[in-house]
Amino acid sequence: MPHPPRPAATRAVEDLLRDLGPRLRRGGVPEAPAGHFATGIAGIDHLLGGGFPRGRLSEIAGAPSSGRTSLALALLAGATRAGETCAVVDAADGFDPRAAASAGVALPRVLWVRAPGLRKSLLASERVLEAEGFGLLLLNATGHEAPSADFLRLARKAAGTQTALVALSLERTAGTAAAVALEMEPARAHFTGTPPLLEAVEIVAHLVRHRSAPTGRSVRVRLHAP
Amino acid sequence: MRVACCRVPNLPLAAALRAHPELAGAPLAIASGPDARAEVVAVSPEAERRGVRRHATIAHARSVCGALRVRVASPSLEEAARQALLDAALGSAPRAELAPRLSGAWGAEACAFVDATGVEALHVSETGFASALVARAAKLGLPACAAVASGRAVARLAARRTAAGEVHVLTPRKERAFLAALPLEIFDPDDATLESLTRFGVRSTRDLLRLPRRALATRLGPRVLELIALARGALREMPFAVAPEGRLAEAADLEFAVDRIEPLVFVLGGLLSRLLARLEARRLACSALQLRLTLETGGRDARRVGLAAPTLDRRVLVRLLTQALESRPPAAAVESAALEAEGSPLRAGQLDLFRPAGPAPDALGRVVAGLQALCGEGRIGSPAVADDHRPERFEITSPAASLAGKVRESGTARETPRRAGMTREPRAAHETPRLATRALRPPVAAQVRLRGRHPVQVQSAVAHGAVVHAAGPWRTTGGWWSPETRWAYDHFDILTSDGTLSRLRFDHVHRTWHIDAVYD
Repeated sequence: MPHPPRPAATRAVEDLLRDLGPRLRRGGVPEAPAGHFATGIAGIDHLLGGGFPRGRLSEIAGAPSSGRTSLALALLAGATRAGETCAVVDAADGFDPRAAASAGVALPRVLWVRAPGLRKSLLASERVLEAEGFGLLLLNATGHEAPSADFLRLARKAAGTQTALVALSLERTAGTAAAVALEMEPARAHFTGTPPLLEAVEIVAHLVRHRSAPTGRSVRVRLHAP
Repeated sequence: MRVACCRVPNLPLAAALRAHPELAGAPLAIASGPDARAEVVAVSPEAERRGVRRHATIAHARSVCGALRVRVASPSLEEAARQALLDAALGSAPRAELAPRLSGAWGAEACAFVDATGVEALHVSETGFASALVARAAKLGLPACAAVASGRAVARLAARRTAAGEVHVLTPRKERAFLAALPLEIFDPDDATLESLTRFGVRSTRDLLRLPRRALATRLGPRVLELIALARGALREMPFAVAPEGRLAEAADLEFAVDRIEPLVFVLGGLLSRLLARLEARRLACSALQLRLTLETGGRDARRVGLAAPTLDRRVLVRLLTQALESRPPAAAVESAALEAEGSPLRAGQLDLFRPAGPAPDALGRVVAGLQALCGEGRIGSPAVADDHRPERFEITSPAASLAGKVRESGTARETPRRAGMTREPRAAHETPRLATRALRPPVAAQVRLRGRHPVQVQSAVAHGAVVHAAGPWRTTGGWWSPETRWAYDHFDILTSDGTLSRLRFDHVHRTWHIDAVYD
């Protein structure tokens, strides 16, 4: 006996469910971060399992000349080119617009907060997170030692948002509040030619903390001089 | 044309209660001056019930009512209340204007006229529109009534026959009958005309219109013709003026001079609350504040508080005002304060089909204004590369327009993000990762030992030790046309034995060495 013909709407819904079925989830606050921000540096993105997660606190720690700023600007360049509105809360007042533009950052999409001191920079970060809609928040706390409790509070604020919060520091201070922690280390500077020119710098990134990827891995990256 | 008249019957009282809401419900008299022989110019209903009357002296009024509270009439408060009435009107319709101030029996009233043509489309009926107008005025602290008629004069007369908080709509067909029954006093004729007409036995419009027009004009002069035209409802009226720009002001005359910042900020907070309510009524946000103080010494103090983005957040504005006063306190005690707000339209969000939504414009404005209050002026904004060869130069621009998603970056490939929740893979502008610099502001002083023209040893708070590698010098100069602006730098890229790769700078003008950036 032949089946009765199905209405067009039912057919369309069935087709959609077949195509999108694995991607459909129940509504509510997502447990897992809803995406990553890639840095555009293949080795580091691979190390991080895609990039720095949204809705989480990540930490990049390292001594001067270890490549923290270069990595942060690469991340910022990727986010702004994707159309995201980003914020840089700069406790160290070290953001260099010329270097950022050279790294490919779309400067008009960046809110630069030159917060005087650590306390105000933490408060400013909270305000930015409360605004919602910022894709990436870079907190440059280089030269300041923030208590881990402050980072815990920031991590909780970030958890309710779609903002990837990335903190830069000389040494790891966020502790367990950070979902991802990278430790950077300078490896070698290449001066070539006569007279010598700075051509490139090699750095090593160690993944010391990640909630969903194996840690203890490292990658060596070559950064070319501007 | 249909016109609504929004009327505040007792402006001096309404202005005082708007500035001092704690006096509501108390027996209150508004005096013409501070001394006991000053005249009472307005009384609250509570004071009137206890026997206080207008035109009495303050001493007499106090003897009648012991609990009487007295405030001196303040022209600045009354003007602010009149402007607030206009704001309420402009919040209801785009064309509105204030009626000129009158003297005499109706001198205490304030009226605003609003173009009410076609308001039924939005408010269902003219009664609904008039009620909305009254409610909007009440929200700004003004007890008003409203009437709608075919012209300003008739609407005003109808409003004079309406109690506070109520509305009166006169259809064109009923206007003639309404006007006919009015007593002549309500038209506010001059004293001589009114006295002559009363002597003739003319007491109402009906009596007046029975008399021959030409004969009246011959006996009483041309002013009576205007009165007749008004009584007929046939007065010629001008079109509505263009609405004034969004600069709103509030002022307060202090009873005692204030010499500390905290109580002054308390006073300014009150002004600010009223300003923000008026801005909100006109759907504007505050984009800058102008503070004018009159000092006890007779001097004046004026300052402007700029905002990075328009906001209606009172807390943020109070903080900015406090910062402005603390950074440069007034030179003497303050006797009066005036605050002017520049209003700008609240930005509407326009979403992009291909880009992430970003923060909502009003939320962004709030955050930026809050951050400015936290960090100080000139420290918040979008960075920009300065049109200058000096590496330390940069610009920081207002973030309002750029971050609201209106800017399209020239020369940047427009990338369509994939579905939400998926990893974004930005298309790299550069195939290879770039080494970036971290600026040192201010540059760190360094002690440098040279061999020939090249640094071999550096001592500083950032980098120290023997120079392992050095590249340079790279010379940049500029401002040579003036000794004040002249600069000349030699830059070296150096790697010191402590592993720091930095940018060393020799300043030829000041003959000093600094490290101005770290390769990081």
